[in-house]
Amino acid sequence: MIRVALSLAKREFVRFMRQPQRVIGTVAQPILFWLFLGSGFSSSFRAPGMANVSYLEYFYPGVMLMMMLFASIFSSITIIEDRDAGFLQSVLVAPVSRLAIVLGKVLGGTTIAMVQVLIFTLAAPFLGLHLGLGSLAVLFGAFILSSMGFAAMGFYFAWGMRSSAGFHAIMMVFLMPLWMLSGALFPIEQAPLWLHVVMSINPVHHALTLIRAPFYMTPAEMFANTDWLIALGVTLLWAVACLGGSMARVEKREKGAAVPA
Amino acid sequence: MIKIQNLTHVYPGSRKTPPRTAIANLSLSIAEGEFCILSGPNGSGKSTLFRILCGMTLPSAGSIGIGGEDLLANPAKARAQMAVVFQSPAVDKHLSVAENLAIHADLYGLRGADLTERREEALAWTDLHDRLADKVMNLSGGLARQVELAKCLLTRPRLLLLDEPTTGLDPNSRRSFMEALHAIQRSRKMTVLMTSHIFSEAEDADRVAIMKDGALLALDTPQALRSRLGTEMVVVQSRAAEALQARIGAELGFHSHRHGDEIRLEQTDSSASLPILETLLSRYRADIDSIAIKQPALEDVFIHMTGQTATQAETAQPLATVEAGQ
Repeated sequence: MIRVALSLAKREFVRFMRQPQRVIGTVAQPILFWLFLGSGFSSSFRAPGMANVSYLEYFYPGVMLMMMLFASIFSSITIIEDRDAGFLQSVLVAPVSRLAIVLGKVLGGTTIAMVQVLIFTLAAPFLGLHLGLGSLAVLFGAFILSSMGFAAMGFYFAWGMRSSAGFHAIMMVFLMPLWMLSGALFPIEQAPLWLHVVMSINPVHHALTLIRAPFYMTPAEMFANTDWLIALGVTLLWAVACLGGSMARVEKREKGAAVPA
Repeated sequence: MIKIQNLTHVYPGSRKTPPRTAIANLSLSIAEGEFCILSGPNGSGKSTLFRILCGMTLPSAGSIGIGGEDLLANPAKARAQMAVVFQSPAVDKHLSVAENLAIHADLYGLRGADLTERREEALAWTDLHDRLADKVMNLSGGLARQVELAKCLLTRPRLLLLDEPTTGLDPNSRRSFMEALHAIQRSRKMTVLMTSHIFSEAEDADRVAIMKDGALLALDTPQALRSRLGTEMVVVQSRAAEALQARIGAELGFHSHRHGDEIRLEQTDSSASLPILETLLSRYRADIDSIAIKQPALEDVFIHMTGQTATQAETAQPLATVEAGQ
C-alpha cells in the first residue's frame, strides 16, 4: 500500500515540477503578498506582548501557513483533471486499497506544499528569526501534519466535484475566511469575543499556533505549553478526520437500486 | 473465465425520473481464451455491464465470476486477473511512456527482475521501444493506444476488457492495433471481451454478443449469426420505402424488414434471390432507387436484431467514464 501511495505521490510531484509557471506562481504570490502587506502595515501594527516584533515578522508564519494551505488544498484539483483525462479510471480498477489512493494524493500535495515552505523558510534569518535544529524539525513536522489534513480536506471536496473551476470557487469561499480567521493577519487576543470563539474552533488557527511557536520557543518549551499541545491535538484530529472522510468517499461505489418486485 | 448469472441493474430514480432497468436478468458465459465482441445500440446496457465488470458499479442483483473469483465478494482478487482498456485514454499524457508503465507496475505490485522481463515482453508487441522517454502527449493516437495495451500486458492478465479501443484511430492504426491484439490473445490464450460497433473487428472474433434493452439478444459465432439471415438478401432502396414495403407484402406476400429508406428481403434459398429481384424491378421500378443482392454481413444481423444501423449505434456515449463522486 505504501509503495502505491508513494508512486502516486511521486507522480503528483513530478507533474508539478514539470510546470514551471505553476511553481513560480505558487511561490511568488505569497512572497509578494507578504512583502507588500507586511511592509504596508509595519508602522501601524504592534501585536500585544510582541513589542519588538515587526508586522513583517508577525505576518511571516501566516504567509507560510497560506502557502501550505493553498498548495495542499489546490493540489487536489488534479483529482478532477485525472478524472477528466481518464487516468483515474486505471487507478480505480487496479487491485489497490482506497487508502493508498487517498494517501498518494495527500502525500503528493504535502510534498508540493513542503517544497514551497522550504524555499520561504530561507527568508527567516533575514528577519532575525533563528531556528535551532530541534525547532526546525518541529516546524517541518507541524507543516507536514497540517498539510496532510488540509490536502485530505481538498481531496474530500474534489472527489465529488465535476469542474476544476467549481472546485476553485468553492475552496476560495472556505479558504480565505479560514486563513483570515487563523491569526495570520491579526492576533486572536485583539479580536472581539465572538470572533475569538470563531477563531478558536478554526482548525487553521491551531495549525498556525503549531507553526508560529518554533520561531519563539525551544522544543522543550513547546511540549510543555498547553496551548501548543491543544493545537497539536486539534490538528492531528483534523488530519485523521479528513483522511477518514476522504477514504469513505472513495470507498463509496455507484450501487444499483433494488429490483422492482 | 467470465460467468454472469441473472444479472440485473436498476439505476435509482429521482424526484423527476423513475428507476430505470439497464440490465434485466442477463446470463452470459465466456470461456477461457475466447475472443468475444460485445455490441449493441445506445442504451442497450453494455456500458453498464462494462462498468460492473470493471468493478466500478455494484449491480442490483445477480452474480459475476471472474476466473473463479466472485467479483462482488472479492473484488480485489477478481480485479487482479483482469486489465482494462478504456475508450478514453487512461494514461497520464504529461508523463513519459516509461513513467506510465512504472506507475502501472506499482499499482499491481510489480518490481525487480520480474518487472523488467514483463516490460520487455509487453513492449515486444508494440512499436514503443524507442519512444520510452517520450511524453505520451507527443505520441500519435495509435501509439498512445499501444501504451494502454503495453500497460495492460504488463500484468499478464487472464482477462482483457476493452471498451471500443479503436475509436478515433485512423484505418491503418486500427488495423495494426487489432492485429496485435489478436496475436497477443492467441499467443497468451488470453480471454478478451471487447465492445465495438465496427463490424469488421467482430468478423475475427470467436463469438459476438448483441445486446438490446438490457437483454442479450444473441451470442454466437460470426458465421452462425450471419446464417440466421439466410444465405442471401435482396436490398431495396426507396424514398417511399414504407409504402413500398406494404405493397410488396400485400401484393406479393413477401416478408421483409424496413430500416429507414431500406427494405430487406432475407432468403434461405439463394436461388430465389434473382427471381425476386426481377419481380420487384418489373413491378415497382418507378419506386425503386436501387436494388441489389448481397450476402448477409454481421452488420445486417445487427440491424435485423436491434433495428438500428451501426452508424446510429456508434453515436452512443463512451462506455465507461468514472463518476468518482458517486
